[in-house]
Amino acid sequence: MLTLNKPSQRDWTPILREFDAILGDSGVIRRKEELLVYECDGLTSYKRRPAVVVLPRTTEQVAAVIQACDRHQVPFVGRGAGTGLSGGALPVEDCVLIVTARMNQILEVDLDNQRVVVQPGVINNWVTQAVSGAGFYYAPDPSSQIICSIGGNVAENSGGVHCLKYGVTVNHVLGLKVVTAAGEIVDLGSKIPEMPGYDLTGVFVGSEGTLGIATEITLRILKAPETIRVLLADFSSVEAAGQTVSDIIGAGIVPGGMEMMDNFSINAVEDVVGTNCYPRDAEAILLIELDGSEVEVDTNTRRVEALCRQNGARNITAASDLEERLTLWKGRKAAFAAMGRISPDYYVQDGVIPRTKLQYVLQEIEALSQKHGYRVANVFHAGDGNLHPLILYNNAIPGELEKVEELGGDILKLCVKVGGSISGEHGIGADKRCYMPEMFSAADLDTMQYIRSVFNPRGLANPGKIFPTPKTCGEAAKSVAADSFPTVERF
Amino acid sequence: MSQFIPVLQSVVNGEQLAAWEQVEPPLRAQLKEALAPGSVPECVVQPNTPAQLAAVVKQLYQEKGRSLSFGSGSKLHWGGLAQGVQVGISTAQLNQLIDHAAGDLTVTAQAGMRLADLQAHLAQQNQFLPLNPSYGDAATLGGIIATADSGSLRHRYGGVRDLLIGITFVRADGEIAKAGGRVVKNVAGYDLMKLFTGSWGTLGILSEVTFRVYPLPEASKTLVLSGGLEAIARVTQALLASALTPTAVELVAAPTMQQLGQDGLGLVVQFQGLAVALDAQTAQLRQFGQAAGITATVHTDAAEATLWKRLAEQWEAIAPSPALTCKIGVWPNQAAATLAKITALYPSLTYGAIHAGSGLGQLRFDADLPSASSLLDLRRLCEAQGGFLSLLAAPTDLKQQLDPWGYPGNALELMRGIKQQFDPDALLSPGRFVGGI
Repeated sequence: MLTLNKPSQRDWTPILREFDAILGDSGVIRRKEELLVYECDGLTSYKRRPAVVVLPRTTEQVAAVIQACDRHQVPFVGRGAGTGLSGGALPVEDCVLIVTARMNQILEVDLDNQRVVVQPGVINNWVTQAVSGAGFYYAPDPSSQIICSIGGNVAENSGGVHCLKYGVTVNHVLGLKVVTAAGEIVDLGSKIPEMPGYDLTGVFVGSEGTLGIATEITLRILKAPETIRVLLADFSSVEAAGQTVSDIIGAGIVPGGMEMMDNFSINAVEDVVGTNCYPRDAEAILLIELDGSEVEVDTNTRRVEALCRQNGARNITAASDLEERLTLWKGRKAAFAAMGRISPDYYVQDGVIPRTKLQYVLQEIEALSQKHGYRVANVFHAGDGNLHPLILYNNAIPGELEKVEELGGDILKLCVKVGGSISGEHGIGADKRCYMPEMFSAADLDTMQYIRSVFNPRGLANPGKIFPTPKTCGEAAKSVAADSFPTVERF
Repeated sequence: MSQFIPVLQSVVNGEQLAAWEQVEPPLRAQLKEALAPGSVPECVVQPNTPAQLAAVVKQLYQEKGRSLSFGSGSKLHWGGLAQGVQVGISTAQLNQLIDHAAGDLTVTAQAGMRLADLQAHLAQQNQFLPLNPSYGDAATLGGIIATADSGSLRHRYGGVRDLLIGITFVRADGEIAKAGGRVVKNVAGYDLMKLFTGSWGTLGILSEVTFRVYPLPEASKTLVLSGGLEAIARVTQALLASALTPTAVELVAAPTMQQLGQDGLGLVVQFQGLAVALDAQTAQLRQFGQAAGITATVHTDAAEATLWKRLAEQWEAIAPSPALTCKIGVWPNQAAATLAKITALYPSLTYGAIHAGSGLGQLRFDADLPSASSLLDLRRLCEAQGGFLSLLAAPTDLKQQLDPWGYPGNALELMRGIKQQFDPDALLSPGRFVGGI
């Protein structure tokens, strides 16, 4: 782990006086020991203490803070719950960290229009809790959903296991109230999609805090499906499991979610969680969630089971009631935590490949694993080709982190080589900015900067994130996601 | 005096370049509907590779030439009037399929490809792009993206923005840039796909696009219900609050229903999917109808196709001209009431439909067109329901009297800033978009 602080070069007294006036004493944190928890997000291998943390409650307070930052030319970084895995909320040198934890009100539940308006600090699954009584839910479900915030989801355009059928965060955000990096309050989108003008809502979602801070978010909610069924199938080869995924898609079935784990992950989970539902001798398992009307789910269950058997599945378990379904999901959801228990440290990668390249990519990852000498467990969203290879290592051994980062980088390059992406749902943040040129040309990146220069003309909002610079990619924070939230499942 | 023809001759062949007088009269007429009166372009150019498109745009950039880009031209009569256009750029020759990765549920094609041609390719693998926009036979992918024009299927599949996963485009300076990729899940970099969707050619010219595709449904049924406002509103609300999974839910204005031989406000609901699953779904909707005292008629196969075709024809019909068409938005729970109100207030309404889930809709007026001030009232009515009204097709003088877009928000300066960054000399489709962008 690296701590990156240098002594402050700035006289903070006048700035702090302004913050006190805006937020009151309790809304401003400046004592070193209280700042400790804000040194990193879910990417814990690099830490940097912010100069000051502010805890606004309203849009106006956020705007006043950002205006003060603008006047004094102080960089600021937004932070929700701090569960992000790409270092999007890693403080920058001598910055103000704007934490939205106290902006935790659900402002409006409009069931008639199937919309919910929230402040950014609202936790993801509070939204579903607020509307589940009426049979609705909020679809994007990152695995940290019991602690991650909607503001953070918006910043990173978070996914989850149900993306294949229902899309990621951006497909469920209709409108935003935003404070730009210049301190202006603007409304993007509304409760109705496709308002006249550029789709700035769509651009803002996933901009990782580099355009400003969203202070109100209008979400679309969905009616819960009539029936949900989870199938667990185990296979004696990864190829057979991969072929089954292809066959299911080829048959015109779009499952709510489709997840794969390899033998190494299965055994790690069984060692640690002991669900006794994943056979230890299986080379791969598939978890397939089907949803829809009862007839539809019954029919698709039969078709999926037939495809599994056709590809040599040994056992197929089906679960419909909530408790049984959760049991089947339990091991998958605990996969990251299990790695944390069997290895001192692990590095989680987030890459995407065209799913049809799965077998080739897994072979290549295995070859890279052997070349670099680190074990890699494979857990992934098989339906949409979003891989999460977990590289096991020991950070106490000097030099290991750097080697593991190199292996992780090689995996990302492999994803790009086969036509994929360097991030499916965790974001670029501080972690992967130096790999952006693998995917995008200088012209592509310059064009993206057009947007940033409009919202963030002085570069004060989350500087150094997403885009590579010679300086940052020479020296700065790369990543390892260790287990800062050991009790929380992550994907 | 030709300024641009000699310059463009250096980058395209003769047959790809037509002086204004040589442009086919129908296209000339279409182009005129997109242009502010007073001037016509010197020529129309049809590049046939992305590199050639880039070369054309680069030449124009160097000469500070203003262009209007279009695909097949099917929607040139929509939107704001372009100012001082010197060159028309058609992407119709950029019509190649690049890659249909059926197993990955993606397709990449050049932007000038017609949607209908793409669908024919996809259907060979039992897949489709779930967009049913206006002028579905002629519309190109690039034009559909530029106008963000989707149809009834948005209820299940979302709008254009939700399906577009990658773009390559030529910037105002002639550089080629891209964003997104060819995988269905990807959060690397800013989402320029969203920015370009509905940007009306003002930020760059699309050359290649990648969409997410879906399996073709096995079976399809459409139910039509019609009746009084209260009953239709009740059925709609019951349907949207149920676990039923229709692919389309359209509220249809009474004059439009009349053309289908039915009285009152209409609700047209399509279910698609497994054949065995459709019966239970349609039975449930019939029950909602019965509870409100309405009988549903079911359309399948050819009758179903005819029904949707007749609705589209009412919306798209060329005659009687000149028509006025609008895109509107209102809160979904106010959609039925708003449609009924507009029908009562505007006798010249011939087509009216609102997607019940999103609140987006389309209006068409024929014969005695509403005046500018009357349209302004209508815009206020939509705005009072949280929405908007934008003019699509309208007589040129009306577009000059009334801002076609009616953007009601406070982010116009950001939008202008973005245009300034992408196209500082305002060379690309100048004047077509919101706030004169």
